[in-house]
Amino acid sequence: MRIGIDVGGTFTDIVAIDDVTGQFHYAKTLTTYPNLWEGVLEGIARILDKTGWTMDQVNYIVHGTTIGTNALIEKKGAKTGLITTEGFMDVLEIGRVQRPNEALYDFFIDNPLPLVPRYLRKGVPERVNAEGEVLLPLDEEKVREVLQYFKEQNVESVAVCLLFAFQNPAHERRIAEICAEVFPEAYISLSSEIAPEFREFERSSTTVINAYLQPVMKRYISQLTKELEKKYGKIDLRIMQASGGTITAEAAEKFAINTVNSGPAGGVLAGSFIGNITERKKLISVDMGGTSFDIGLIDGGIPKITSEAKFDGYPIKIPVIDIDAIGAGGGSIAWIDKGGALNVGPQSAGAAPGPSCYGKGGRLPAVTDANLVLGRLNEEYFLGGEMSLRKDLAYQAIKEHVADPLGMSVEEAAAGIIRIINAKMSKGISVNSVEKGSDVREFTLVAFGGAGPLHAVELAVELEMQAVVVPPICGGFSAVGLLVSDVRYDFVQTMIRSSDDIDLGQLNEIYKELEQKGIAQLTAERFNLQDMELVWSVDLRYEGQSYELNVPVDRGENLGKKDVEKIIERFHALHEKLYAYSSQEEEVQFVNLRVTAIGKTPPVEFKTESLTGKNGAEGLKGSRPVYFEGHGFIDTPIYERDRLLSGSRFTGPAVVEETISSTLVTPGASCYVDEFGNLILTWGEV
Amino acid sequence: MTGKTDFITMQVIRYAMEQIADEMGHTLVRTARSTVIKEIMDISCAVFDHKGRTIAQAHHAPMLLTGLEITMSRLLQEYPPGMLQDGDIIISNDPYMGGQHIMDVQLFAPVFFEGELVGYVGSLAHMVDMGGASPGGVAGGVNEIYLEGLRLPMVKLYKGYKEDKEIFGILQNNIRVPHVTLGDIRAMASCNYVGVRRLQDVFTKYGVETVQDATAMLMDYSERRMREGLQAIPDGTYTGVDYIDDDGLSDDPIKIQINIIKKGDGIKVNFDGTSKQVKGNINCPIATTYAGVYYTIICVVDPSVAANSGCYRPVKLDVEEGLIVNPRMPGAVASRTNTSQKIVEAMLKAFSTAIPDRVVAGSHGQISTCAFSSYDKKGRRFVYTEIQGGGAGARPTKDAREGQDSHLARFMNTPVEAAEMEFPVRVECYEFIPDTGGAGKFRGALSMRKDIRFLCDNVSFARYGDRQKFGPFGLFGGSEGAMGRFILNPGKPGEKRMRSKGLDTLQYDDVISLQLPGGGGYGNPLERDPELVKQDVLDGKISLATAKDTYGVILNPADLAVQQQATEQQRQEMGKIALK
Repeated sequence: MRIGIDVGGTFTDIVAIDDVTGQFHYAKTLTTYPNLWEGVLEGIARILDKTGWTMDQVNYIVHGTTIGTNALIEKKGAKTGLITTEGFMDVLEIGRVQRPNEALYDFFIDNPLPLVPRYLRKGVPERVNAEGEVLLPLDEEKVREVLQYFKEQNVESVAVCLLFAFQNPAHERRIAEICAEVFPEAYISLSSEIAPEFREFERSSTTVINAYLQPVMKRYISQLTKELEKKYGKIDLRIMQASGGTITAEAAEKFAINTVNSGPAGGVLAGSFIGNITERKKLISVDMGGTSFDIGLIDGGIPKITSEAKFDGYPIKIPVIDIDAIGAGGGSIAWIDKGGALNVGPQSAGAAPGPSCYGKGGRLPAVTDANLVLGRLNEEYFLGGEMSLRKDLAYQAIKEHVADPLGMSVEEAAAGIIRIINAKMSKGISVNSVEKGSDVREFTLVAFGGAGPLHAVELAVELEMQAVVVPPICGGFSAVGLLVSDVRYDFVQTMIRSSDDIDLGQLNEIYKELEQKGIAQLTAERFNLQDMELVWSVDLRYEGQSYELNVPVDRGENLGKKDVEKIIERFHALHEKLYAYSSQEEEVQFVNLRVTAIGKTPPVEFKTESLTGKNGAEGLKGSRPVYFEGHGFIDTPIYERDRLLSGSRFTGPAVVEETISSTLVTPGASCYVDEFGNLILTWGEV
Repeated sequence: MTGKTDFITMQVIRYAMEQIADEMGHTLVRTARSTVIKEIMDISCAVFDHKGRTIAQAHHAPMLLTGLEITMSRLLQEYPPGMLQDGDIIISNDPYMGGQHIMDVQLFAPVFFEGELVGYVGSLAHMVDMGGASPGGVAGGVNEIYLEGLRLPMVKLYKGYKEDKEIFGILQNNIRVPHVTLGDIRAMASCNYVGVRRLQDVFTKYGVETVQDATAMLMDYSERRMREGLQAIPDGTYTGVDYIDDDGLSDDPIKIQINIIKKGDGIKVNFDGTSKQVKGNINCPIATTYAGVYYTIICVVDPSVAANSGCYRPVKLDVEEGLIVNPRMPGAVASRTNTSQKIVEAMLKAFSTAIPDRVVAGSHGQISTCAFSSYDKKGRRFVYTEIQGGGAGARPTKDAREGQDSHLARFMNTPVEAAEMEFPVRVECYEFIPDTGGAGKFRGALSMRKDIRFLCDNVSFARYGDRQKFGPFGLFGGSEGAMGRFILNPGKPGEKRMRSKGLDTLQYDDVISLQLPGGGGYGNPLERDPELVKQDVLDGKISLATAKDTYGVILNPADLAVQQQATEQQRQEMGKIALK
C-alpha cells in the first residue's frame, strides 16, 4: 500500500492505492495555515480511516509540498549571503539584462529583484579557468572575514557560486569546510553541488534559491517527521521533486530547490501514467484550476524534462518537468479594455471571493460564471453539491460588465468569454509545443483540474488533436502522480569538448563517478541493484549554438570511439527531428554529462472494470439546455460519471458531471468509458 | 460595427495572429546557428495583411518590429501583386530600401489562399557577418555604405519554395563565415514558411472576408486606443534635444532635435534643428528613425495596446532627406543604434513637460557593440561579439531596475563562462560601478563594467559606443548618470582611453575595460527617502560622502542609522543654496 499527499492552496488531496487489488482511494481535507503539517496528518488519518488500513500496512508515503514554492513566491525565505569570485558579486543582479516579455513597451515592468541584496554579496580572491586549472589560490583569510561579516548580519544561509566551479569544485568545497569551522550554524549551498553546469548567472540563481529555501524546508520537514513519528512511529517519507521523481526527506532538506513547482509536475506525471495504461504515448496534459492553466508535454510516454526552467522570473538550472503556465482558469475575470475589446484574465477572482456565482462577494464576471450561464455547470451540483452556485449573480455580472457595454445578450457575452479564454489556451498549447519541436496534431489531450474537462474537447478540436482523455477523480488527479513516481536523483557534470577531441578516459571516469554517487544514494535507501535504473545521457550542441539537446547514452563499462560516434549520430537525428535540419560536417560539442539514478517503485496496477456498459443509460440523470458554439442552446442529456459503466459509449451533446468537475461532450463528439474509468472523447470520422 | 465580424471574433483572430508570430519566432530561435540569434535574440517576426500592414508581432526587439512596416511598404512598390507566387521569399538588407543596417537581413514571404494574395509574413535577424571591411560589421568610423558589407536589394531568394542557387552563391562568396550566415538565413526561410502555413490555416478556418474584416477592425481598435490616449495629453509643441558624441571620424558633436506637435488625437513629429548626415557610419536609415518614434509614442501613450499598424495612424512624421535621421546614399549606417537611441531620449525629454508621470529619465542611450576577432590556439578564426547597453533611467515612481536594459533593443549578455570556454579571453570583472547612477528622488541605474583580458595576439577590436561625452539626462532635479568609457589596460602603465567608435588592434595580455553609461535620476535628490539612501550606502551603490553631499542624508558611520535631525538640517541648507 502507498499513500500520496498533495498540499494545494485550498485543499490537501490524499490518494492511496492498494497494491494487491489495484483499488484506488481518494480523500481531501482543507489545507491548514500556517501549520501545513496539521492538514497532512489529518489527511493521513482520514485516508487510513477510509481504507481501514493501519500504518504498518503502508510501505511508504509520498509528499508533494508547496512550502518551497510558497516561500519563493511570497519572498519569505531565509536571510541569505552569497560568496562569489572577486569581481563578480553583481552577476546575480545584472542577470542576462533582458527586459521581461511584458515590458516590450512598458517602462514600469521589471525582472524580479535578486534574493540576495548587494550588501550580502561578497567577492573573494580566487580564480579557476575554463579548463578547471587554478589560476589564483583561494584567499582563505578573506573567506573567514566574509563569513564573520555574514554572522554579524544574522545571515542564516550561505550560497557559494565561483566561476568554473563546475570544472573544479575545490575552492567551493574549501569554503564549505571553513564555514563548518567558523560559522557552523549556517546552512550552505555550493553551486558545484546544486547545479554544476556552465552559465554563471543561471547557476548562481539556482544556488541562491536553494540557500534561500533550505532553512524553511528543514524546519518544515523536521516538524512533520517529528509529528508523524510521534503518532505512527518511523515512516518511509518521500518528497516529490519538480523532476517527477522523489527523494528522501533528508535529501529534500539539502536540495530544497528540487521541490519548487513539484505540484504541477505531479500532474504531468499522472498524465503520463494514464497515457501508458491507455497506450497513448504522445500526450499534452492540461491542468486547469481557478487561476492557472498548466501545460505539460509527454512524448514516448515520458514527460518532457528541461534544465532551462524559470520560476517566478528566476532561472532554475536543474532538470524539471517542463511546464508552461498561463493565466487562465475558472476564476479568470472578463473585462472590457479602453478600446472596447473583451479580454479574459490574467486577473483571477481566485477562491475568495471567487467568481460572482459563488455568492461570496465577488461581483466581476469570471469564466465559471460564463460556464454556468451557458448551462455547462450545474448550479446545484458544484463540488458534489457541497456548494450551490448563484446563476442570478453570474447573469448580473456578465450583463453589467460585458453584455451591456458590448450591446449583446448575456448568453452571447458568456459565449464570447468562453471563445476568448479558449483562444488563449489553444494559443498557449500550440506555442508551447512548437517551442518544443512537436506537432500538436499528433497528440492526445489529457485534461484535469476542476475546469479542464469543461474546455478540453473544444480546445482539442480547435487544435486538431487526436482525442481527449479525462481521467477519473480529475479534481485531485495531480496527486496520482505521487503514487506512480519513482525515486530519482539527477547528477550532472559539465565537460565541454569537441567530439573529435574527447578524452575517453575522462568521459568514462565522469560517468563512473556520477553513477557511483547514484548507486550509493539508492543503496542507502535500500534499493537492490536490480531495482535501480541508471540512465546515462549527454547534452550536445553544434559548436557555437547556445542550446543543447539531451541525447541518451548506452551505459557501458568502457565507452569507446564507436560509442561516441553512435552518440553523435543520435544527436544529428534528434536535431533533424526537432529542427528540420542536421549538419554532418559540423563539429559537435559535448557539454554536460548526466546520470539519472532511478529507484523503481513497484508498478501501479489500476483496477479494471469489465466492459459491460452499453449506451450509458445507467448514468443518465436528466437534461437541461446547454449552449454549444455554432448550435446555440440544445436540450442536453446530463450523466452522472460515478454511475457510468465501463464500456459505455454515447455521443454529444452531453455533460458528464462528477464531484469536482464536469466534462463537456460537444455535438458530434463521442464519449467512451474505458476499463479504467477514463472518459475517452473522439470526434470527426470516428 | 461593419462587415462580417464582431469584437469577439476580432479578439480570437488576434490571438491566432499573435500565435503565428510567436511560432515563427520560436522556429527561428530554435533552428538558427549563431549566438546572436539564439542567445542574444536580435530578431523580429511579424504578420502583415494583404496591404502590407502589420497585424501582429512576436515579442522581440521593438526597434526591429516597428521598422518592418516601412520595409513592407517598399516591398509592395518593388513587387506589386502579380509579381509574387506561392513559395517565393524576398530577401533584403538594404538600408536604402527600407532596411535597418547591413547586418540585419529581412525575409518576406507572400501568403496565398485559394490563389489570392491574402497577406505576408516577415522575419528579421542580425547576422554574424555579411562581408565588408571588418568582421562582424561593427567597426565605427567607416565612411561609406560600400564598406559595410554585401548590400542586397529586394530579390527573390526562394522561388516557389526552391532556393535560388545564384543568390546563395553570391552570399557564399562574400561572407566570412558562410556556414553560419547561410544557416541562419535558411532558418529564417523555414520560419517564414511556418508563418505562411499557419496563416493559410487561419484563412481556411474563418474565410477571407471574416479574417480581413477582423484584422481591419483590430487596427481600428488599436488606432482608437492610441487616439484616446493622445487626446489625454495636453496640446502643445514640445521639443527635446540630445547629442551624439561624434561620428567616429571627426570630434564634432551631432545634434538630435525632435519637435512634437500634439493636437487633439493626433501627433506630428519633425526633426527641424537636427544635424545633417555625417561621414561616419552613424547615420540612421529612415526605417530605424520611424521605429524610434513609434516605439516611444506607444510607450508613453498606451504600452499595453495591441501593437499593429493602427497604432501608427495618428502619427505623422516629417523627416527631411539629408539629415542624419534620413541619410542619402552612400551614407554609412552600421552604428545607427546610437542615433535611434538618442531619438528615443530626445522624445522622452520633449514629452517630459507634457506628461511627467509617463516618461523615464535618460538611459544609457546607446548600444556598445564590440567585435573582437583573431585566431585561436587551433588557428581558427573567431569573432567574439559583446553587445551591451548600460544603466536605465529612473522612473516617476521608482528607481531604475539595476542591470536591466532599456529602450528599443532587447538582447541578452554573453555569459562570462560561455565567452571563456569559446574564446581565448579571460573576463576579470563584471560589476556595477558605485556612484554612477544619476541622483534623484528616484535613482538612475549604476554603470556596469566588464574587463576582458586577451590571451592571443593581433585581436581586431571593432566597436561603436556612445554617451562618452554627453551623459544621460536627469529629470525634474535629478542629475545626469555617468558617461561610459573604454579603457585599455586600466591601472597599468600604458593605460589609455580609447575612442568610442573605431577599429584597433589588441595584443596578448591587453585588458580592455568596457565601462557603460549609467542612467539619469528623476526628481530632487533631497526628496529621496533617507531609508533608500541608507540602503544604497549599505549596498555600496553610493558612498557615504554622496549620501551627505548629494542627498543631504547624514548617516551614522558605525551602523548607518539615519540621523534625522542632522539630515533635516543638512537638507534645509542645501535647499537654500539651490534656491540661490
